[in-house]
Amino acid sequence: MSATVDSSRKPSMAERRPSMAERRPSVQTGRRPSVIPHLAGIEDPVLPTIPDQCDVLICGTGLVESILAAALAWQGSNVLHVDSNPYYGDTSSTLTIEQIKAWCANVNLNTPGFQGFCKALLYIPRPDQLNSRDYSIDLTPRIMFVKSDLLSLLIKSRVYRYLEFQSISNFHTFENDSFGKMSSSKEEIFTDQSLSLATKRQLMKFMKFVLESETAHIAKELEQYKSTPFTEFIKEKYKLTPAQINELCYTLGLSPTPNILTIEGISRIRRYLSSFDVYGTFPVLYSKFGGPGELSQGFCRSAAVAGATYKLDSQLQSYDSNNKIATFMDGSKVKVTERLVCSPSQAPANAQNVPERKYEVTRLITIVKKSCKEWFFEGESAAVVVFPPETLPSHNVYPVQVIIMGSGSGCCPQGQCIWYLSTVEKGEKARRDLEEALAKLEESILRESEDGGFDVELTDEDVVSRPDGSISVINSVKLGKSFKEFVPQEKLTYLFKLMFTQYTSVEPFGVVNENVFKKTFKEGTENSVDYQILYSNMPSAEISYDGIVTEAKLLYSTIVGSDDDFFDVDFEDDEEDTLAAARNDSAILDDDDEFKDEMDFEL
Amino acid sequence: MSKQTSVKLVLLGEAAVGKSSLVLRFVSNDFQENKEPTIGAAFLTQRCTIGTKTIKFEIWDTAGQERFANLAPLYYRNAQAALVVYDVTKPASFIKARHWVKELHEQASKNIVIALVGNKYDLVVDPETGEEIEGRRSVSVEEGKALADEEGLLFFETSAKSAFNVNEVFTAIGKQIPEETSKPQDEPSSVGRIDLNAPVDESGGAGNCAC
Ligand SMILES: Cc1cc2nc3c(=O)[nH]c(=O)nc-3n(C[C@H](O)[C@H](O)[C@H](O)COP(=O)(O)OP(=O)(O)OC[C@H]3O[C@@H](n4cnc5c(N)ncnc54)[C@H](O)[C@@H]3O)c2cc1C
Ligand SMILES: Nc1nc2c(ncn2[C@@H]2O[C@H](COP(=O)(O)OP(=O)(O)OP(=O)(O)O)[C@@H](O)[C@H]2O)c(=O)[nH]1
Ligand SMILES: [Mg+2]
Repeated sequence: MSATVDSSRKPSMAERRPSMAERRPSVQTGRRPSVIPHLAGIEDPVLPTIPDQCDVLICGTGLVESILAAALAWQGSNVLHVDSNPYYGDTSSTLTIEQIKAWCANVNLNTPGFQGFCKALLYIPRPDQLNSRDYSIDLTPRIMFVKSDLLSLLIKSRVYRYLEFQSISNFHTFENDSFGKMSSSKEEIFTDQSLSLATKRQLMKFMKFVLESETAHIAKELEQYKSTPFTEFIKEKYKLTPAQINELCYTLGLSPTPNILTIEGISRIRRYLSSFDVYGTFPVLYSKFGGPGELSQGFCRSAAVAGATYKLDSQLQSYDSNNKIATFMDGSKVKVTERLVCSPSQAPANAQNVPERKYEVTRLITIVKKSCKEWFFEGESAAVVVFPPETLPSHNVYPVQVIIMGSGSGCCPQGQCIWYLSTVEKGEKARRDLEEALAKLEESILRESEDGGFDVELTDEDVVSRPDGSISVINSVKLGKSFKEFVPQEKLTYLFKLMFTQYTSVEPFGVVNENVFKKTFKEGTENSVDYQILYSNMPSAEISYDGIVTEAKLLYSTIVGSDDDFFDVDFEDDEEDTLAAARNDSAILDDDDEFKDEMDFEL
Repeated sequence: MSKQTSVKLVLLGEAAVGKSSLVLRFVSNDFQENKEPTIGAAFLTQRCTIGTKTIKFEIWDTAGQERFANLAPLYYRNAQAALVVYDVTKPASFIKARHWVKELHEQASKNIVIALVGNKYDLVVDPETGEEIEGRRSVSVEEGKALADEEGLLFFETSAKSAFNVNEVFTAIGKQIPEETSKPQDEPSSVGRIDLNAPVDESGGAGNCAC
């Protein structure tokens, strides 16, 4: 369909009447029709009211709850979706600086609506340099594997149309006081000059094994390693070095803890490898202008399109399980005919049945005055950095994971960068680990961005060129030496620093615990404000979006009875999307075949 | 061939003011007398040529239910243009429009082009003479113009029914959109957008065809 609108277009039916000039109201000056109530003074439009009744009431617009709302709305349920905040996103919000300030105050005051977070420390040394609305800060930043249930859902639900996605190719591992970029694609392994032929063979063998891990005979072979830790398995079977094990387990696998079993480790590396080469030579995407906060809004909009009603600024006060009436703080009430779902963060005051949250995630978010483009792949604006266990002076037991978001991500102004550090370590130890990782990041970016930072003497032998001529690789051992002696000539300017702890019911490794939703209510709580409320979990420590669709589906089948018709939406007017979704689902197989062939040839 | 600019345009306004009808008129030159409240169709594209430039409008129409809603900022974030629509026979819809303008100025991108549109103009004129009939309208032209002048908006009264001024609104917006939304070359920004509908193994290359 294409319409051409220009000055010479044909007159439409309207123009058979008096000429445009005569009829154009904006030029009819001096002629004022009668009986016009003057509108100045009537300031407020009719305020939105809460409907009397709904099938499902959902409190909290976090990502899980928003996906659930959209799924239920498309399935035909009458959904009322509220949030206690004046913005969308709840535990996965994307906030401006002013909103972050208010958020911190609320967290530290333990206000209802901010449950599950604690000890928020905010440091803004130069408030005049921060223009609040120039920033989009994620409370729960995440990256998305190309081969994932969420990406398929985004396409199927068409929510992807509301968003913009960009790629991340660079995954750095911190080792021996310097960063190494992981050789993660088959091409890179072949061309990596620092790997011996034997190591290359072992690595390729391992990757082949991972990609075939779902075939029957490999699955059988894996049975015997059922309870073997993953790191032990690769050490024994493939004789890889500790550095390579770190890269596989924590950088490619993005494992948040060293305690992972072989099966889990393999599925994590498989996730990385199979995500390659679908949209390009990168495994991961992120959404521009903010992560889960933007995605939440996308699903909320989808839910609204399907008929859900939205209301912000509404904190649940109580739920009466006898007459199924939910009451909000402003006194309004709604009858819930099916189920009330609530995020633990927005539980009513004096709630008795919020699921136990025994796991912690501690986050340190900083904005620095440096573009950090040295860390990004050409043309990209984001990267991932991992500090494996025992690589920090604090002898970190758990890895520190870092998402780096440059200004091209739309989240901060040019010449600045946001660093999101997190760990599943607990308490003060967690904060120490994060501070030390931050110090290392600072040292590293100053070194890499400063002219004359490299004061080692390099000979021709230290510099090797990639076969395609694009990048020269410098002998990293020699550089590592110089890095240790490096004294930065400038200081890194921090514009913003935020540290906080979040509690969750989801284990650091693994997905949502189904039992959370099957729980029986505590005896003696029949008259409590939240008896029979179905609580979601808080966001997990997982750095990717994995686990979120699973949780939404579990909640969905708890309410509907099964997840058979979860997002069973048929957009009849456009086949393109469903085709793409189908392609995406099946691409794993195609990819593997291709991968196999090439490797067989090489090995 | 002329340059093509892609423009994200959102429609805002109270229920039943004729947002979807304006889009239908613009995209298909059609009108439906008893149009259902919008549910579902929330995204349309329309290409049009203004002088030498081709503009592809990505039109985001609000769903009817969203009249209750606190609209997700996602909806108008990064929109280059907005139509804030009211019904010239409904004063409440004009007040709602004023709130939308305020919210857009507070939340949307700084350079957004906003057009204030008083729709259903046909209801206040005599179809034979084109003269206004006394007592039909509830929002005066001056009222609309004053708001538009104060807030720096384009202003039109339209009729989706008679097609009056509808194309003019879109043409005027198209003219106001800067030729090249100039992006500093220092750091990548708009480059690197991934088209989720185009896996590389299928489309046979990275060059996404814009047609
Ligand atoms: C999370 C966080 C990280 C920080 N990181 C840095 C940093 O990297 N570089 C830097 O120069 N300054 C940092 N500070 C602040 C720093 O410790 C000093 O407060 C600051 O340099 C000003 O010193 P002062 O003596 O003028 O103020 P002070 O009177 O010492 O402190 C001002 C306020 O900051 C709080 N505060 C002080 N130190 C910390 C801390 N380490 N963690 C949390 N709260 C603190 C105090 O309780 C007080 O409310 C940080 C603060 C916070 C909250
Ligand atoms: N007379 C007249 N009627 C109109 C005009 N535009 C729309 N209508 C009628 O007004 C009603 C509502 O129009 P819609 O286009 O659905 O309004 P909307 O703003 O999209 O409404 P929602 O989707 O519910 O927000 C329909 O019955 C249309 O036929 C117009 O210019 N003149
Ligand atoms: Mg409509």
